[in-house]
Amino acid sequence: MIERKERKPYWRHTKWQMLASLVPFLSVIIVLPLYADRLNSNKFLGFPLGYFLAAHGLVLIAVITVASFVSQQDAIDHWHGAHEDN
Amino acid sequence: MAFTTSTRMVNPRLGAYFGIFMSAFIALALVTLILEGLGTEAKTLRYGMLFVPLVLYAAIGIGSYTLDSLDFFAAGRRVPAFFNGLAIAIAAFGATGFVTLTGVFFIIGFDALCLAIGALAGFVVMAIMLAPFLRKFGAFTIPSYLGRRFDSRILRMISAILLSVPMVMVIAAELKLAAMAAVILSGAPEKQMILLLATAMLLSLVAGGMRSLTWTTVAQGLAALIAIVVPVAIVATMVTSMPLPQLTHGPVLRAIGRNEAIQGLPIILPPSLAFDIPGDGLQPMLKRFADAFGAVGPVAFVLSTLTMLAGIASAPWLLPRLAAAPGVYEARKSLGWATLLFGVAMLTSASIAVFMRDFIMDLVAVPGPAIVPSWLSDLVLRGFATITEKGTQFQATSFSFHRDSVLYSLPVAAQLPQMLLNLTVAGAVAAGLAAASASAVALGNVLAEDVVLGATWEPPQGATRSHAARGGLFVAIALGASVAAWVETDSLRLVLSALALTGSALFAVLVLSIWWKRINAYGAIAGLISGFSVAGLATTAGPGAWNPLDPALAGAFGIPVSALAAVAVALITPAPGRHLLELVRDIRVPGGEILYDREMRMQRLKKQRQRG
Repeated sequence: MIERKERKPYWRHTKWQMLASLVPFLSVIIVLPLYADRLNSNKFLGFPLGYFLAAHGLVLIAVITVASFVSQQDAIDHWHGAHEDN
Repeated sequence: MAFTTSTRMVNPRLGAYFGIFMSAFIALALVTLILEGLGTEAKTLRYGMLFVPLVLYAAIGIGSYTLDSLDFFAAGRRVPAFFNGLAIAIAAFGATGFVTLTGVFFIIGFDALCLAIGALAGFVVMAIMLAPFLRKFGAFTIPSYLGRRFDSRILRMISAILLSVPMVMVIAAELKLAAMAAVILSGAPEKQMILLLATAMLLSLVAGGMRSLTWTTVAQGLAALIAIVVPVAIVATMVTSMPLPQLTHGPVLRAIGRNEAIQGLPIILPPSLAFDIPGDGLQPMLKRFADAFGAVGPVAFVLSTLTMLAGIASAPWLLPRLAAAPGVYEARKSLGWATLLFGVAMLTSASIAVFMRDFIMDLVAVPGPAIVPSWLSDLVLRGFATITEKGTQFQATSFSFHRDSVLYSLPVAAQLPQMLLNLTVAGAVAAGLAAASASAVALGNVLAEDVVLGATWEPPQGATRSHAARGGLFVAIALGASVAAWVETDSLRLVLSALALTGSALFAVLVLSIWWKRINAYGAIAGLISGFSVAGLATTAGPGAWNPLDPALAGAFGIPVSALAAVAVALITPAPGRHLLELVRDIRVPGGEILYDREMRMQRLKKQRQRG
């Protein structure tokens, strides 16, 4: 169980982790498709690069974002003693 | 209590059970293939492919029978991350994803990504901003969460009524798509199929509520993934000699691009707010596949991504699934699985569209007089496509396709055995049922818990509580089925509007309820009502003088209005009391008791103290 005075630092840490995970991810999600046309003249694995990045690339980025968030947030929970009991 | 650790509660034989289910499903497909070779009547085989899976789902659902309310409303809080993630991904993707998204990819290519990316990002935002906290709270429905979080019965009632609207829309849309698929298998009228599937849904869900939902959805998700991936993997092996369509459609796509350029398919520069998502009905291929922004303008692309994101992240038919995770950590992890599986599903949809375009473009590339190959006449005969102009040579615009038939056209175009078409259609039925079921159970629980029993915080003890939810489930399915049967709308539009409404009404309020301590019940009510009404107005009024946006982008107005209203009203009304502040602090910490259980216990104690 988390100690009372640990709550504030825990939440500050969690907030930063949230921003660190979401801000880069959301900016890529919004900005990358806008440049897809310009990237399409390049090729990767036979794909037009813009299409490849907007489809496969974003899936990969999303999965990596969630996976890294899960492990980092879990580390934060344990560091502050905020983790579940089991 | 040492004996309630999460890992011990998980059924260790789940993998074996679903291995058995998958073997049964694959065996069914293979048996029909053998019988097809032996010359059994095609109609019998199609009926088998429709009814046998329905019986399997119903058997799983009835086998998960329970009277315990924790089992009924949260699947006992012991669904492992992978299964939870699969269920949430398939409930979000649904038949809308497999059937219509494939068609949209086929017709407008790249621009369809705005819908898929938005939903994918929705999972990421859900995992980071909402899921862990909602799991910690542990309420069975979203209105219950809001009501307890803000200690306001009015908020609970208002949110229950408002959120019922998008949930009915989702049930109707998914049920309709599943019924359209079932019509291909049975040949019966659509209304009969809606009735059949609604009955099958009721049978497989009524026995165990969330518990039945979880295990039937996992079965349906596995069935749908096998059924959709196998045919396209076979086609990919034929075309590119690699059975990984998601990664190998690149060279095919480039060949298509060359043909499109030779054909002179226009490079369209649409207005930045254009949102030309193809509707129901026959349509030619509108633009070059890999080119961005031919049908959807750049601004509309971003806005629809954000609207989808908010809608999926706060969907009241997906979020209750988190209460079934064994813990906060598992809830986060299940969204990781959901993101991965959703991504695979969306890439599969895109690859199906690419391979289908390849078949058409190959026809166009052949010089000389137009010869209709047998598979094309088969497609026309089945009503999946038409040949609009028969000149001396085929043009890219000579063919029109039904948006919702592109998925089924691929096995026909590749001249695969009839079994694979039946399998694909069965997959679409499964996906549609999974999504409709998730929404039906969520709506049923909302109707029973928050509307009928919503006047009191103390739910009835024992089986009465789950019986009420069974009644709610029946009403929810009946509502959804009647909308599907009698309201003439396009399913994709229905789902997009439902997501726009949900995101506008709920997203800001849910996020603020966790990340901003100062918000109070008045702010939440203001945010809900203003967001919902702005999005509702934009949806019903359609694009007009004050609103240049397509209804599906209503979130662009709704979400900011809702957030502003929530913040402004919260600031001018009294700050929340000490109990609520303490509650928020507890929501933010993963460890400790599940708050919903604690609140319910405190309510009971309070009642007892009042009595004596």
